[in-house]
Amino acid sequence: MPSVSRVLKIAAIVLVAAAILAFPSLAPNPYVLSAGVLVLNYAVLATSWNFVGGFTGYISLGHGALAGLGGYATGLLVVKGGLPAFAALLVGAALVAAVAVPVGFAALRVRGASFVIVSIALVLILLLVFQSWASFTGGSRGLVVPRPFDLSRPEHHRVFYYLFAGLLAVALLVWWLIDRSVFGLGLKSIREDEDKAEALGTATFAYKLMVFVVSAGFTALAGGLYALWFGDLDPVFQFSILTGSYLVLMALLGGVRQLFGPLTGAIIVGVALEYFKVEYGDTPLHLVATGLLLALVVLFMPDGVLPAIGDLIRRFTPGDRTSIREVSAAELRDQRLQNAGGTR
Amino acid sequence: MPSGALLFQSVILGLLLGGLYALLASGLTLYFGIMRVVMIAHSAFLILAAYLAWWLHENIGLDPLLSMIGTVPLFFGAGLLLQRGLLSRLRPATLTMMSVLLTFAVALLVEGLLGYAFSGTQRRINLGYGSAGLDLFGARIAVVKLIAFGLAVVALGTLWLLMKRTRFGWALRATIQHRDAARLLGIDTERVAGYGFGLGLATAAIGGTALSLDTTIYPSLHWHWIGPLMAIIVVGGLGSVPGAAIAALLLGLAQSLLQIPMGTTWAQTIFYLALFVTLAFRPQGFFGGRLAQRF
Repeated sequence: MPSVSRVLKIAAIVLVAAAILAFPSLAPNPYVLSAGVLVLNYAVLATSWNFVGGFTGYISLGHGALAGLGGYATGLLVVKGGLPAFAALLVGAALVAAVAVPVGFAALRVRGASFVIVSIALVLILLLVFQSWASFTGGSRGLVVPRPFDLSRPEHHRVFYYLFAGLLAVALLVWWLIDRSVFGLGLKSIREDEDKAEALGTATFAYKLMVFVVSAGFTALAGGLYALWFGDLDPVFQFSILTGSYLVLMALLGGVRQLFGPLTGAIIVGVALEYFKVEYGDTPLHLVATGLLLALVVLFMPDGVLPAIGDLIRRFTPGDRTSIREVSAAELRDQRLQNAGGTR
Repeated sequence: MPSGALLFQSVILGLLLGGLYALLASGLTLYFGIMRVVMIAHSAFLILAAYLAWWLHENIGLDPLLSMIGTVPLFFGAGLLLQRGLLSRLRPATLTMMSVLLTFAVALLVEGLLGYAFSGTQRRINLGYGSAGLDLFGARIAVVKLIAFGLAVVALGTLWLLMKRTRFGWALRATIQHRDAARLLGIDTERVAGYGFGLGLATAAIGGTALSLDTTIYPSLHWHWIGPLMAIIVVGGLGSVPGAAIAALLLGLAQSLLQIPMGTTWAQTIFYLALFVTLAFRPQGFFGGRLAQRF
C-alpha cells in the first residue's frame, strides 16, 4: 500500500499540472495570460538552472546570460539567417550548448569559487559585446524578432503558454530521468563530497561538463522561445545579472534537491515580481526586495520550502525514515546485530 | 602607430589605474584567504564609499579625502558585522557557494538603497584641483589620479606592515594558513577573521574615496568593477596578495594600452579574456599556492 506522503505528493502534482493547463482558460484578460507565460518562462529557466545547481551544487549566476544568448541566437538566425522560427530555435540552442563547452571547460576545472566568478564574468562580457557590436546585434536599439504565427495577441499568448508548458514538461522529465540514473548519482556525489567522489573513480570533470552543457541547452531553448514570444530583445535585459539571481532565488526557495522545487519557487517569485512591477513600478526598491529575500532564503531556508513542507507531513507519519543521514552509526550497529540475530 | 607621448601617457595611466585595482583586489584576496568567501559586495561598498564622499562634499563641502576619517572606521565596523553577523552563520559545508549568494544579496541591497536614496542620476564631485595636471615628458597626468594612486600605495603599504610586523598581522596570517593550527596556538580565530573582514572592507572605503575624485558615479557602477577585480584575483591566484597586486598592475596596464587601438569598451574585455585563458590553462592562477588549486 502506498504511503500517505506518496499519495499526497501525487495528488499535489496532478493538481498543480491541472491548474497550469487550465490557467489560460481561466485568465480574465490577456495581460494576466502574458504574466502566466512569463512565470512559465521563469519556471523552465529555473528548472534548467537546477541541472547544475541541484545535482552538482555548483551555483551559477550566469544562466540569465545563457538564456539571453539563446534568445539572440534564435533571433539572429531568423532575422539574418532567414531560418524558419522553430528551426532557428533548435539550431540556436545547439549553438549555445556548443558555446557552453569551452565556458564550462574553463569554469569547471577547479572548484566552486572560480565557477561563480566565470558565471558572473559571462554575463558582464556578453552584455559588453552585444551592446558594442551594434552592426550585428542591433546594440542598445534592440533586435526585433518577427512573430512565428499570424495570430491575435491573446491567441499568441495562449499558444506560447502551452509551448512553454511543453518545454517545462520535457525539462522536468529529463531532470527526473537523470535523478534516477547512475549519471545522476555521480553528479550528486560531486555535490556531497567532490574529493571522495573523485577518489571513488567518478569522472567528476566530465560529469560536471556534461550536465552544464545539458543545462545550457535547456536554458537556451527557454531563452529562444522567449525571443519568439516577446519579439524584441535588448542587451540590458537579456544579459542582466539580475535574471541569473532571480533563477537562483527561485530554485533555492523551492528547494534545489526537489524535482518541482524550481517550479514552485518560480511560481512564488515570478508572481511576486509581476505584482511588484504593477504596484510599485520600476523603482530601485525591487533590488532591495530581491536582495532581502535572497539573503533570508540563504540564511534561514537554504533547503527550500518543499523540504520544509515535507518535514511537516513527515511529522504526522512517524516511522517513515528514509534518509541515511538520519540514522546514527550506533543505530545502524543495533540494526545489524538484530538482523544477524534474526537469521541465525 | 600611436605617438611616443601617447604611449607613455597610457603606460603611466595604466600603472596608476593598476594601483587602485591592486588595493581593491587585496581586499578581495583577504576575504578569500580568511573564509574562502568570494565577496561580490566588495565593489558595491566601493561605490557606497564614493557616494558618501560625494554627499559629504556636496552638503557640507568636505574634501573627499577627509571623508575617509569617517568612512574607514565605519566600513571596518560594517565588515566586522558582516562577517560575525551573517557569513559565520552559514553552514561550513556549503560556505563558498552560499556566501557568494549572501554577498550578492548584500550588493543588491546596497545598490537598491543607493538608487533609492540618491536616484540613478550620475554624480560627480567638482574639485578645485580636479582639472589640474602635471606635465611629465610630454604626458599629461591629472593630479587626482596621482592622489588616488598615492592613496592606494599608502593603504597597501600600511596593510603590508600590519600583516608582516604586528602581532595581529601574524595572527591573521596564521588564521589564513591553517585555521585549526592557529586555534591550537591560542589565537581567537573567530575574532581575527572578523577583524580581517573589517580590514578588507576598509580598503573598499579608501578605494571608493580615490574613485570619487575623478569618476562619475551611479548606483549600478559596481558591476563594472567586480568583473575586472574578480578576474584579477583569479589570474593572480586566489588568496595570494602579491599575485593579485602583480596581476592588477599588468592588467591595468594592458587595459590602458589597449584603449588606444580598441576604444574603452572593448579594452575591458582583456580582463575576461585573461580570466578564461588562466582558468583554461593554469586554473590555480599564476602566483597562487596550494590554496588556489582547490578552488
